[in-house]
Order: sequence, then C-alpha cells, then structure tokens
Amino acid sequence: MRTTVPVIVAFLSGIILVVSFFFQETSFIGGLSQELKVWLTIVGGFTLLLGVVSITRVNFSGVVRRRPGWGYKILTLISIFAMAIPSILPTSWSPLFGRNAGSIYDWLFVNLDSPMMATMFATLAFYIASAAYRAFRARSAESTILLITATVVMLWRVPMGEALLNMLPGDIPSFLNTYVMGGANMAVQRGIIIGAALGAASMSLRIILGIERTYMGKG
Amino acid sequence: MVGLAVVIPFIFPADFPISTTPEAQMVFDSVEALPDSSIVMLVFDYYPSTIAECEPMARTALHHFWRKDCRVITLSNIPLGGPSMAENVTREIAPEYDKQYGIDYVNLGYKANYVAVLAGMGNSIESIFPTDNSGTPLSEIPLMDSVVNYEQVSFIFEVADNATADYWVSIVNAQYGVPIACGVTAVSAPKYYAFVASGQFVGLLGGMKGAAEYEQLVGKRGKAVVGMGAQSLVHLLIISLVLIGNIGYFVTGKARKGMSR
Amino acid sequence: MTGIEIFQTWLIAFFTLALFSFLYKDNPVYKIAEHIFAGLSAGYYVGLIWDTVIIQQLWTPMTVDGRWWLIVPGVMGFLMFTRFWKKITWVSRIPLAFVMGVTAGIFLISQLHGLVLPQMRDTMLPLWNTQGYGQLFLTIIIVVGVISTLIYFYFSKEHTGALGVTAKVGIWFIMISFGAHFGYTVMGRVSLLIGRVQFLIEDWIGSFT
Repeated sequence: MRTTVPVIVAFLSGIILVVSFFFQETSFIGGLSQELKVWLTIVGGFTLLLGVVSITRVNFSGVVRRRPGWGYKILTLISIFAMAIPSILPTSWSPLFGRNAGSIYDWLFVNLDSPMMATMFATLAFYIASAAYRAFRARSAESTILLITATVVMLWRVPMGEALLNMLPGDIPSFLNTYVMGGANMAVQRGIIIGAALGAASMSLRIILGIERTYMGKG
Repeated sequence: MVGLAVVIPFIFPADFPISTTPEAQMVFDSVEALPDSSIVMLVFDYYPSTIAECEPMARTALHHFWRKDCRVITLSNIPLGGPSMAENVTREIAPEYDKQYGIDYVNLGYKANYVAVLAGMGNSIESIFPTDNSGTPLSEIPLMDSVVNYEQVSFIFEVADNATADYWVSIVNAQYGVPIACGVTAVSAPKYYAFVASGQFVGLLGGMKGAAEYEQLVGKRGKAVVGMGAQSLVHLLIISLVLIGNIGYFVTGKARKGMSR
Repeated sequence: MTGIEIFQTWLIAFFTLALFSFLYKDNPVYKIAEHIFAGLSAGYYVGLIWDTVIIQQLWTPMTVDGRWWLIVPGVMGFLMFTRFWKKITWVSRIPLAFVMGVTAGIFLISQLHGLVLPQMRDTMLPLWNTQGYGQLFLTIIIVVGVISTLIYFYFSKEHTGALGVTAKVGIWFIMISFGAHFGYTVMGRVSLLIGRVQFLIEDWIGSFT
C-alpha cells in the first residue's frame, strides 16, 4: 500500500504523457495529458508552500526553545508574515493588499528582497578573484590548458582586453569565438548535454516503470 | 583591490569600443526580420540575484520589440521575483512607446512546475494561465483573443539565469518549432553555444558583455554598456593577479628545488 | 527625488552595505539583514502561490467555471503536508509520485527528441562538403571533441589502450571548456558586483546632491 499506490500513480501518469506524444492534441489522450499538466502546475505550487511551512516551523521552534540565534529567527518570522499576510488579503479592501504595483508585497520585494538578493550574489566577485589568485597555477599540462583558456577568454570578453588582443597579429577575438567557444568548448558541452539527456531519459523510464523509487524516501 | 577596480571607472568613465559577436548579431537580426506587429514572448526566467546581467537584456529586447510594434506576452517560470520583475519592467517602458496593457502587452505571470507549463502551453495557453498576473481572465484581454498556443507566437526571447533555457529548447523549440533567442548569464553562456550551433537557438547573449552588445545594436545605451569599463578593469586586475601568482609559484618552486639540491 | 524615493534609496543602501559587511567578518548587522532577506523570500512564495495557484488555478475554475474535478490536484497538494506527521508521512508519496510520473513522462520524450537527436544530428557533419580549410578544421574539432568527451565520461570500461588515449584527448578538450567556463564565471560574478556598485554610486551617492 505504502509503495504500491505511489508506483501505480507514477506509472499511470507517466505512461499517459509518453503515449500522448504520438497522438493529436485534440484526441482523448491529448486532452487527458493536458489535464495532467494543469494538475501538475497546481500540485507543484503546493510543494513550494510546503517549503515555506517548513521554514516557518523550524524558525518558530527555534524561538520557542530559545535555540542559539533565536532573536534573529524572530526577524525571519516577522519578515515572512509581513510579506505574506498583506499579499493574501483582497485588493478590494485596500490597494496596499494583494500583489499589484503599490502593494506592501511589491514594495517589500522591490526595496528589500530584490536588492538584498542581488547583493548576496555580488559578494561572490571578491571570493572568485581571491580563488583565481590562490588556485590558478600551471602545475600540469591540463591545468596549463585551463589557465591559458580562462585568461584569454577573460581578456577577450571585455572591451579593454579585446583592444589589447587586437594589437597582436591575426584576428584573435574571431579565432576565440569560432574555434574555442564555438569549437572545442561547444563540442564538450554537446558531449555533456548528450550524456546528461540520455541519463535523464533513462532515469525517467526507471521512474515510470517503478524501478527507481528513491524519491519516496525511507519507511 | 577588486572593489576599487569596480568603483574607479564610474568616477572616471572612459568609453571603449564594444565589438559584436556573431551570436549577438543573430539575436538582433532575428528580431529585425520579424514582421511588424508580430506576437512575441519575452520570458523573465531570472532571479533578482542576476538582475545586473539579465535585466539589461530584457529591457533592450522590450525596446527592440516595441520599436517594431510587436505585441509582447511576458511570463516567468521563476517563483522568486520573476512575475514582479516582468510587471515592473514592462510598465516602466510601455509609456515610452505609448503601449497599452492588454492590447499591446500582457503579463501572464507565474505558474509552478516549468516543465508542465512549457509543455502545456503547446496545447492551450489559457488552460495553464487562466488569468494574467493580476487575475484578469485571459478571455477579457484583447491581445489574447488571437492567441491559443505557440502556433500564434512568432518568436520567443528567453532571458534566463538557470536551466529553464534547456527546456525551452527541448520542449518548445523541438516540438513546436518556435524560433527562440536566448540571453543568459555569463556562467551558463558557454553551454548554450551547442544550441546555437544546432540551430535550436537563433542567437545568444552571454552575460553583461552580451547585453552591452545588444544594447549597442539596438542603439539603447543602458547599464550594461556603462558597466563595461568596470568589467574591463576587474578582468585585467584578476589576470594580473593570476600572472603574479604563477610567477611567484615558479620562482619559489625553483628556489625550493635549489634548496633541496 | 521625492522624500519617499530618498528613503527607499537609503534603505536599499543600508541593507546593501549591511550584507557587504560580511566581507570584513560575520557580524550582527549582517545577520539581521540575512534573516530579514530569508523571511521576505519565503513570504514572497506565499503571496505568489496563494494568488496564482490557489485562487487563479484552483478556486476560480472550480467555483466559477464549474471544473469540480480540480479537487483532485487540490487534495493531492494538501496531501503533501502529511510529511509533517510521521505516522502518515507516506501519504505524501502519492502527490510526489504524481509529480515524478508526469515530469518523467514529459522528460522521457523531450530529452531524446529535443536534445539527444538534434545534438547528435548536428555532430554528424560532412567533411567533403565544407567551405574552406577553416570550416574543415572546425568540423574536425567538433567531431573529435564530442566523441572524446563522451568517452571520457564512459566509466563502464577501464580507460586503457585506445580508450585511454581518446579519454586523454577528452580531458584536454574538457580543460579548454572549463577554462572558458571559468573566464565567463569571473565575468558573471564581477557583473553582479558592478550592478550593486552602480546603485551605490549613481543612486545612493547621487541622492546626496
């Protein structure tokens, strides 16, 4: 029961989608597969809510049990509710509610959430510069190839660097774009894409046939 | 040092010529080749974290589309910020071209599970997006009167900072044949050269430099072009650091070998 | 700039600098900003899913359009929450299996039809129909690069003999690609920093005048 029902559900839903590929979209099986896609967007939405409920529970329990950093967890909880509650209230009550421009939700996103997220990732620039200095060493033939390619590509992708490359004989920027990026790099990426896609397709088949069950977890 | 290298070009700006890669030129040419008033999709598949790289692409694409009088459908497969960014960018630029919401553009917003969304829109956009982002039924939006599925969409411009671009290729382009151009973050740009070569993407913008190339082609100088000075200086700094590090490595390596003798 | 715009600019600048302060060391101001950011991001999902999924895709179609059968995905969605109760946590496997099944069904075809076949087709390039030596050289690079990369990632047989040599060539190609990736990654990370510095200099410091 605990594993049989999910395996049957995965098989039926998967096989309908596979078979529908070979039929007209207006056919019965086409319509059924479309309905399943709509259902998936609904169930997918709930999975995101599951994550929010989980983060709220973890922070709430941290505050109640006075775990280290509980004061900060209160801030997280306040922020969750400050964003969430006005957004689910009807706009007919106030233009501050809902998700439209001018709402609390939109204001918090534009002025706090979005710039903070951008800043979080911007800090990585300092770490990657430091990593380049510390780790990039021509220790072997392979690391030398990597080092040279990275350096030349870095130079090529900025106007000042490209101006420097243009001072050298031959059309180096064009060579880099055609033979390095569009040649060797593209060939490797293509190999990886083909390998990964074959892996994804075989994993999909295993899921549909009920051979792959690790997504169910233990118990 | 990195901080200084970024700040200095903003205090003492200097213009350097920005060359255009064939991939960026292909994006420009594909949009130029569209018949006027075509229906196009502009997809905001990026998080606010990469706004510096992706937003200039989305903005420039919007200028380009509206200059050609295209009717634009925006949507997002990114739950964190995607629909808000699409809403804010379109509403900011629309007055410049006298475009009206519902007639010249519409924001479909977000729906969960992008695999199902992309596959489902092939049959019926309305079944996946019964309403636009703010809850107006699609049947009440004039622009959507003539749009049922991908068949009515002439072109898709995907701006992405994640793997959703792969699914636009494998599901939408492969099964429905809609031409797709892609603007991606620099981190993922090398991967997508494979899709350009196979013709599955009709063009590619890679990172802020790609955005700057496109801004220059469209003639709409924006944040990407302005950022190229700082980008240049930091790259030169990092290259110098790598060279210094390697010189030090060889010098100390030889010294160590000498000592061991 | 209006008063509210100046307030907004200063607020963004404060939190930007608060997060950058981590570069010096972990500190309470950074932690405050970090926790507010985490909370706002989680809260964003609630408004979005409430509106776009529960109202637009579930409630309105069921109550207005009479599509009562949507109760099935609705119930499946709620079953996800059984994960929080140990005794009935297995029930959440049913909606999870549905998600996995439908996704696998779409993937099985799209990965083969949309990625494997077009990419393989574009690798089978005619050598005799090329335009000039440059194109011939490019074709050879692509064919050798794709095959050697695939062989490098083929671990079912020991990399010795001809297989070993091809895998070695594969490593060189992979190093070129990874080098290009690194160069582009540096570019990407620096761009994100430029975005924030642009804000601080143009908008925030600009608001002083």
